[in-house]
Amino acid sequence: MGTTLDQDELTGPDQHGATERPSTLTSAASRRRFFTAAATAAAAFVVTTPEQAQAQSQGTRRARRKLPEPVRGVSLALASAATPPDAQLAVWRDPVARLVRRVTLGITKAELERARALGYSRYLEEQLRPSMIDDRATASFVATNYATLRMTPDELYGANPGRAVTELQEATIYRAAFSKRQLYERMVEFWTDHFSIDTDRVSHLKSTDDRDVIRRHAMGKYPALLRASAHSAAMMEYLDQAVSRRGNINEHYARDIMELHSVGVDGGYTEQDVNELARVLTGWTVSGRGIFTYDAQMHDFGPKRVLGRTIPATAAARGLAGKGEADAIINQLALHPKTAQYIALKMTRFLLQYDPADATVQAVAAEFTRTKGDIPSMIRVILTQQNLMVAPAKYKRPFHLAISTVRALGPSVSSTSFVRGQLNAMGQQLFNWETPDGYPDKMEFWSGLALARWNAATSMVAQTGTAFNFNVTPFVGTSAETGAALIIDNLFGGEVTESLRTRLQGYLRPSPTNTGRVREAVALALSSAQFQWY
Amino acid sequence: MSQHELHAGCDEYNSLTRRAFVGVAAGVAAAATMPAWLPKVVLAQSAASRDIIVSVFLRGGADGLSMVYPFTDTNYYTGRPTISIPRPDSSDANRGVALNGQFAMSRAMSALLPAYQAGNLLVVHGAGLVNNTRSHFDAQRFIEVGKAADANLVTGWLGRHLATSTPMRSDAPLRALGLSQGLPRTLVGGPKTIPVPNPTTYGLAGSATTRAERTAWLREDYTEVDTSIGAKALDAMNTVSLLNSINFNGYVPAGGAVYPATSFGRGMRSAAALIKADIGIEAIQLDIGGWDTHSAQAPVLGSMSRSMQDLAGALAAFHADALTGGVTYNVTVVVVSEFGRNVRENGSQGTDHGRGTCMLVMGPRIAGGRVLTNNWVPLARENLESQQDLRVTIDHRDILAEIVTRRLGNPNLGVIFPSYVPTVRGVTL
Repeated sequence: MGTTLDQDELTGPDQHGATERPSTLTSAASRRRFFTAAATAAAAFVVTTPEQAQAQSQGTRRARRKLPEPVRGVSLALASAATPPDAQLAVWRDPVARLVRRVTLGITKAELERARALGYSRYLEEQLRPSMIDDRATASFVATNYATLRMTPDELYGANPGRAVTELQEATIYRAAFSKRQLYERMVEFWTDHFSIDTDRVSHLKSTDDRDVIRRHAMGKYPALLRASAHSAAMMEYLDQAVSRRGNINEHYARDIMELHSVGVDGGYTEQDVNELARVLTGWTVSGRGIFTYDAQMHDFGPKRVLGRTIPATAAARGLAGKGEADAIINQLALHPKTAQYIALKMTRFLLQYDPADATVQAVAAEFTRTKGDIPSMIRVILTQQNLMVAPAKYKRPFHLAISTVRALGPSVSSTSFVRGQLNAMGQQLFNWETPDGYPDKMEFWSGLALARWNAATSMVAQTGTAFNFNVTPFVGTSAETGAALIIDNLFGGEVTESLRTRLQGYLRPSPTNTGRVREAVALALSSAQFQWY
Repeated sequence: MSQHELHAGCDEYNSLTRRAFVGVAAGVAAAATMPAWLPKVVLAQSAASRDIIVSVFLRGGADGLSMVYPFTDTNYYTGRPTISIPRPDSSDANRGVALNGQFAMSRAMSALLPAYQAGNLLVVHGAGLVNNTRSHFDAQRFIEVGKAADANLVTGWLGRHLATSTPMRSDAPLRALGLSQGLPRTLVGGPKTIPVPNPTTYGLAGSATTRAERTAWLREDYTEVDTSIGAKALDAMNTVSLLNSINFNGYVPAGGAVYPATSFGRGMRSAAALIKADIGIEAIQLDIGGWDTHSAQAPVLGSMSRSMQDLAGALAAFHADALTGGVTYNVTVVVVSEFGRNVRENGSQGTDHGRGTCMLVMGPRIAGGRVLTNNWVPLARENLESQQDLRVTIDHRDILAEIVTRRLGNPNLGVIFPSYVPTVRGVTL
C-alpha cells in the first residue's frame, strides 16, 4: 500500500485479533447504567412466516424471522416483480455508467466523465482503495461541523446525546453525498444495516460504533469487522449482551451474532449452540459511559460445548480469564464456510441484484474463503462488467434516492439538516431501524411511498437558502430540447428512454428558459420512474 | 400448496410489504414491516353489515378515574383530596353526572350523555393491559400490537385485521388511514393503509397552479412502467384524487353537530366526512394527547377538564353527525389509553402512572348505556394493585376482539391477538 492520504477512519490494525488487548476492566459493582431504555426494552424482530407466527404464539423462543434473507421462492418472486421496464434497461448501454450507478450513491455528469476517462477496471480499482483517494475536503467539512464524531463515550455523555445522534445522521448524509470514496460509503451503508443498531436504544453510543467498527473496517477484512462489532459497547447494549451474566443469561446477542452477523439463520447451529454461546459470552459487557468491558465476575466458568467445540470448566478467576473462550468462537464464526456463503449472498444482493445467480454467489464465497474475508476482493468478483451488464436494476431506498438527488443537483451545502428531514419524511431515518436486521433492501418494502418521494424531490429542488442552495442555472437550456438534454445529462448520465426525453421536453416547451418551470421539470425528472432505479 | 402459491395472485397480499412510519412524539419515525408472511387464515368476507372502525388512542395514560368515577366510594375522595370530582348528588356547581347508582361522569365529559342515554356509548372500567409496565412507550406498543412484551410482533392489531379481511370495496385505493404525521403502530401491516396528516391538504407538493399538469405528467410517466412500481404509484395518485375529491372544508355535519375547533375535533370531523364519502375506507386511527397529568391535573376546571371536553365534544359531535344524524352509518368507535393513573393523587395535585383505566366504545350496534366492570371493588388500599392502582380486571383485548369478530366480521383472532383467548364481555348487540 502506498502513501495514504487519510487513514483516519479506514481500516487500521485489527484491534481484536488473537492477541487481545485488555479493554477497560471494571468490577460489576462499579458498572453503571447510563441510560434506562435499554434495561427494559427488548429488541424487536419481525414476524416472517405464519409458521413462525404460530410458533411464537405458542411461546417458543424459536419463533424467529428468516429475514433478511428470504427463502428462495420468495426472493425469486421478488426479483421478477422488481425488474424495471426492459425499455429502461435497454438504454443503459454504457458499462461504465452502469458501474458508476452501482458503486456510487448517485451518478453525476462529472463522475461519469471521470470514470469514462479511467475506464471500467481502473475506476473500480480506484474505488476499491478508498485510502488512496484524496478526500480531505469531505474530512475537513466533517471535522469542522460534526465535533461529536471524534468524541469518546465519556465526552459524548457530557455532550448532548441527542446532538450526537443528529450529527452522526447529518455527517453520514454529507459523506455519502460528497465523499469521493463513493464505494466505501456504499459499503458503510451495507455494513450499517448488517450490524444494525437502533439509536432509540443506544443513543450516542452508535457514534462510537460507527467510527470504530463500521467505518474502520467497511472496506477491510470481514473477520476484523465481526470482532470489532463484538467489542462494541453499542452492540452489547443493543442486543442485551451487557446484562447477560452467569446464572442469568440473555441469549439475544449470542443468537444474532450467528443468525444475522455471521453464519446466517441456516448456518447449522442449534438452540443448544445459542444457549451455550450465550454462556460463553457472559462477561462481555459495558462499563462506565459506554466502554466495552470484559467482566470475569459475570462469566460462567463451567464446562460448555458450542459449535462442536468443547470448553472445559476452569476455576473462576479475574482479569481476562475466560474471555478467550468467546474470542475463539467468534474467530471460528468469522471464517466459517456458512459465513462465507451468507456474506457473499448478502453483498451480492446489495451490490449487484436482488436475486443473483447461484454461480455468482459461489464465486464470491470462494473468494471470501481464499482471501479470509477480504471485502475489496469479494467486490471485485461481484462487480465484473459481465455480471453488471446482465444485472437488473435495483430500486433506490430513500437514503439512496435522497443522496442521488443531492449529487445530481450539485447544491452548495452548509448543513444537511434539510436532507435529514427529507429522509425522515420518506421513512428512512438513519440509524433508527428498530430490529437488528437493518433497513430492508427490497423494492416492495419501499415502493408504496411514491407520494413522499415525489414531494421530497419537489422540496429539494425548491431549496435556495444558504444551508442548501440548488442553483438551477446549469439546468436551463435555450430550448425545450437543450433543457431536457441538460437534465438528462445531469440526472441520468445521459441515458433515458426516448419517451421520458419527449415528456421532459414537453414540460419545458411552454417556457423553457423560465427557471421556475425548469425547477419543476427537474423535480419531475427526479420523480420519474427511471430515477428510482440504479 | 405453499403459503406463497396460495396468495400469489392476491394483490392485497402483495401489497402487505410496505414501509410504515411509527411516529410517536418528537418525530421519531421508527420503522416496521409486514413482511411476506402469509397467514393461514380464512379471509373475512365483505359484508354489508361490517362496521367501519374509528380507533382513538389517548396518548399519555388517561386517568379513567377522572372521566368516570365511583362517586359512592369514599376511598376515591380520601385518596384525592384536591383533584376529585364532586358527587353528582351534591350541590357543587362542578358536580359530575350520575350514570348509575355507582358511577358518575365528569362534567367535562357530559357532552357524551346523549350518546350514553341513547344506549350507543359503553364505558368499560378497570380495563387495560395485563402486563404491568408503567412505561408509556412499552404500554402503548403492547396495546397497539395487541400483545404484551413480544419483541417479535411489530404490526398493529388493526393492521392485521385489515390484512386478514377482504376489502369492503375491492377497487378502493385506500382502506385505512391514520390522521397523523406517521402511521400509528395500531395500523402497521394494513394493506393500502397510509398516514394522512391533514386530508384537506394531502397531495403533490409545489405550486398549486401547475399541480394538475405535473400530476398528469407523472401519471403518464408511471403508466409506462409495467411493474408493481407503476401500480403503486398510480394507487398513490388515485388516493390523492380521491381525498382531493372530498370537500373537507365545505363539509356540513348532520344533526346540527358542532365539532370542537381543536386538532382532535377536526380529525373526527374529517373522519365523518371520509366515512360519508363512501370511498371504501374501513379504519381510521386518531391520536389525542395531553393525558400525562403528573401535576396540576385539574379535572374539574383546568387542564384535564379541557382535554376531556375536547375528547367528549368531538365524540359527541361524531355521534350526532354520523351515528344518529339523518343516516346512521355502521361505525364502531373505540377509545383506549396505555394505562390509567394512581388512585391517590401525588404531591403536585396530579397523578402518576397507574394501571387500569376506562375504555369507551360507541356505535349503533354497541350494548351501551352502561358501565361495564368485572368484580369492581372499593378503592381501598388493600384492594389496589401495589396498594396504589386500579386493577386491570378487563383485558382491553376482550373488548377489541369482540368488536373484531362481531362488528368487523373477522374471525381471525389468532392472528389479530396472538396467543390470547378473549373473554366475551358482551359489548356488542
